Amino acid sequence: MSSVSLPESKVTGEIVEDPRTRTTLVRGGLDFAGVTETICRSIEGKTPIGWYIAFGISLLMLGVMVASIGYLFWVGTGIWGLNMPVAWGWAIVNFVWWVGIGHAGTLISAILFLFRQKWRTGINRFAEAMTIFAVICALVFPTIHVGRVWLIWFALPIPNWELIWPNFRSPLLWDVFAVSTYFTVSLLFWYTGLIPDLATLRDRAKGKIAKLGYGIFALGWRGSNRHWINYEKAYLILAGISTPLVLSVHSIVSFDFAVSVVPGWHTTIFPPYFVAGAVFSGFAMVLTLAIIARKIYKMENLITIDHFDNMNKIMLVTGMMVGYAYAMEFFIAWYSASPYEGFIFLARAKGQYAWAYWIMITCNVLVPQVFWFRSLRRNIPVMFVASILINVGMWFERFVIVATSLSQDYLPANWGYFRPTLFDVSTYIGTMGLFFTFFLLFLRFLPMVAIAEVKGVMPEADPHHKPAEVK
Amino acid sequence: MSSMDITDRIRVPAGAWGGKISRLFMVAVVALVLCAVGFVVDREQFYFSWLTAMVFGVSISVASLFFVMLHHLTRASWSTVIRRIAEALMSPLPLLVLFFLPVILGNHDLYHWTHHDAVEHDAILKHKAPYLNVTFWVIRAAVYFLIWTLMTRYFYSNSVKQDQSADPNTTVTMQRRSAPGMILFALTITFMGFDWLMSLDPHWFSTIFGVYIFAGSALACFGTLTLAALALRRGGYLETVIRDDHIRDLGRLMFAFSVFWAYIAFSQFFLIWYGNIPEETLYYIHRFEGSWKYLTFGLAIGHFIVPFMILMSQWSKRRPALIGFMAVWVLVMHYLDLYWMVMPTHHKEGIHFSWIDLVCLVAVCTILVALFVRKLSQNPLVPVGDPRLPESLRLHNDY
Repeated sequence: MSSVSLPESKVTGEIVEDPRTRTTLVRGGLDFAGVTETICRSIEGKTPIGWYIAFGISLLMLGVMVASIGYLFWVGTGIWGLNMPVAWGWAIVNFVWWVGIGHAGTLISAILFLFRQKWRTGINRFAEAMTIFAVICALVFPTIHVGRVWLIWFALPIPNWELIWPNFRSPLLWDVFAVSTYFTVSLLFWYTGLIPDLATLRDRAKGKIAKLGYGIFALGWRGSNRHWINYEKAYLILAGISTPLVLSVHSIVSFDFAVSVVPGWHTTIFPPYFVAGAVFSGFAMVLTLAIIARKIYKMENLITIDHFDNMNKIMLVTGMMVGYAYAMEFFIAWYSASPYEGFIFLARAKGQYAWAYWIMITCNVLVPQVFWFRSLRRNIPVMFVASILINVGMWFERFVIVATSLSQDYLPANWGYFRPTLFDVSTYIGTMGLFFTFFLLFLRFLPMVAIAEVKGVMPEADPHHKPAEVK
Repeated sequence: MSSMDITDRIRVPAGAWGGKISRLFMVAVVALVLCAVGFVVDREQFYFSWLTAMVFGVSISVASLFFVMLHHLTRASWSTVIRRIAEALMSPLPLLVLFFLPVILGNHDLYHWTHHDAVEHDAILKHKAPYLNVTFWVIRAAVYFLIWTLMTRYFYSNSVKQDQSADPNTTVTMQRRSAPGMILFALTITFMGFDWLMSLDPHWFSTIFGVYIFAGSALACFGTLTLAALALRRGGYLETVIRDDHIRDLGRLMFAFSVFWAYIAFSQFFLIWYGNIPEETLYYIHRFEGSWKYLTFGLAIGHFIVPFMILMSQWSKRRPALIGFMAVWVLVMHYLDLYWMVMPTHHKEGIHFSWIDLVCLVAVCTILVALFVRKLSQNPLVPVGDPRLPESLRLHNDY
């Protein structure tokens, strides 16, 4: 048995992102105490004036939502642009869009955890919070779109007075199960991760109410070994449960369309294609929010440009997956030789909704191509604009799917054109108010970066770490 | 990063495996002779058996290229000690083009759309003729093999070059190239699936088919890599380099991809079943006819439920012997999956295993393994100059 010495590495020329080392995730020479300080400052310090302005605007938008929904309940769904043949308009588009946005949170917290991607700790907390708020916004739409909202309990598997059960063969019912399971598990996952941080806040709290409030939710966390062992087991199990949920939720959302025999909807690639699109738009939303929050709360040492670089890579990958799905749909629409499929895909590109289709292609396929370049992946104005455009594009993707296929179905005599009304717009804008109200409250009262988890990926957390190495 | 020492054997002594390789080639020759006998006895059966076996071999090799590019793209370090095995497994691809020649010869027996008279009287096939015609089909296959050849050459030669130079910039460049490489991989494996398998039933179509082929191939590739890694350890190589932690990660990938395969397979089946349009359901109706339904259900159990149950627990992933058994298992399942895709075209009435299936499989596998092992013996068994090798050697999994 011979011993082999590995050759000494010799660098030729310049080297970018040296593969011999891994970049540190926490910058600015922060130690454990520094991390706690940086994160808690946003809760314990003075609330920036910008927060109050943003919160005021959000509340105003929330008011718009409440008013729109109130009027909807009073008058009925006729206030929306719904009419034959497009009887499924913005409500379903907004539902899919919001659920999709939630997906990044679970991907970051669960799947990247299982892949041992340590960089996720910088962004997972507020991405998970975003998941929960986005799912709440999403749930608004199916609830209010039923017309007789007082009968929404029909969607639950409770037999009514005639012993009629809900239709278990309807994907809309599966949505109820899928999204509510997803919401429950996401909430549990988020809360489990929060417990050590809530204890930190409890221990630091100066006011009585804050101490009590954080104390109740910290569940008596003392940071003992036994606590940590249970915590890590729970975290791993929840990550394991969340991972299939990420895939199942949007797959089932895609079934809403794909189980039908409507051209443009019925295609087998829909489940993975919807999941990829969901992660794509979710990452774009995380990025939009992270760029702003990081700047205002001075989190540059915890959410570094390398985090953004990685997120942009994931957006490029998922954007390419979405592009692959568009291409496959188009190819198979031709290859299938089905005149209906072929017609609907040509109608998308050249028909009455061509404007929406090309917005979708531009935002979802062309815009992410900027992320091929390292300099643009690390350019904050570029990624900020791109992240917003991607979410615009993903909204239009769902709109194109819904509107094109419904507006020109098998009977040409039925054809029509969907026009939204003011109430379509106001309800949609209103849910953004709901989302931002929750999100701003979260920023104000909870640690937006996972304190304990960030510490866990710092070099000091390694039992073999030698303090001398700290610069 | 200072240099580290590896005390294991990481290099195969010159000629040490020569005997094994020539024995493999001998078996291959015998199998090929039997294939020729099969060709004479039952030409059609031979072509279908050969197609199944050929796709089995090629798909594993192509998926291995995917593994290498994924490794670079994600800047992974856990897989650095396994990468050379994957590189050797992908390197026979240029030669595997020879496996495709019998398929070209047999195109008339395999593919209904090659029959001019049939196309003339079939509006659907006429519509597809610009894509489904023999000339374009051969050109496309040539393009796939050309792309695979260029990519495998590139990644293999640079990896070996780095053994000497130990230049971290080689890694940086390979990382950069693997991104466009991934796009080429996605397109080639998709259209390979369309051309070689989906067009066996030229009326049938499924947009997810490319993803389906990818999922099964990647799973089979992870199985092969696991077996190779375990075999090397048993043979006294890389005993402390590839540790149980690495094997456990391979087990995790097998677990993940058997679930992913099930997800894709279920999506395809379920949407077609629910939509219930004759032009789509016909594919599954054939696969529920006669004894085919046992294989259909068997795949659901064997390709998904069994690996899911066994590979889920930490307990089983800590047992390399069990992981090795599951690696064999997923390979068998991948073959059966391909068999399930190909054979109902030929034997509509039910499963009809033939000795020709076996000799074709043995011929393809022995040739692939012989080429793989020969390549493996030519260079160090780990990329010694890789800047992330020390990190890979230190791999420790908490979960």
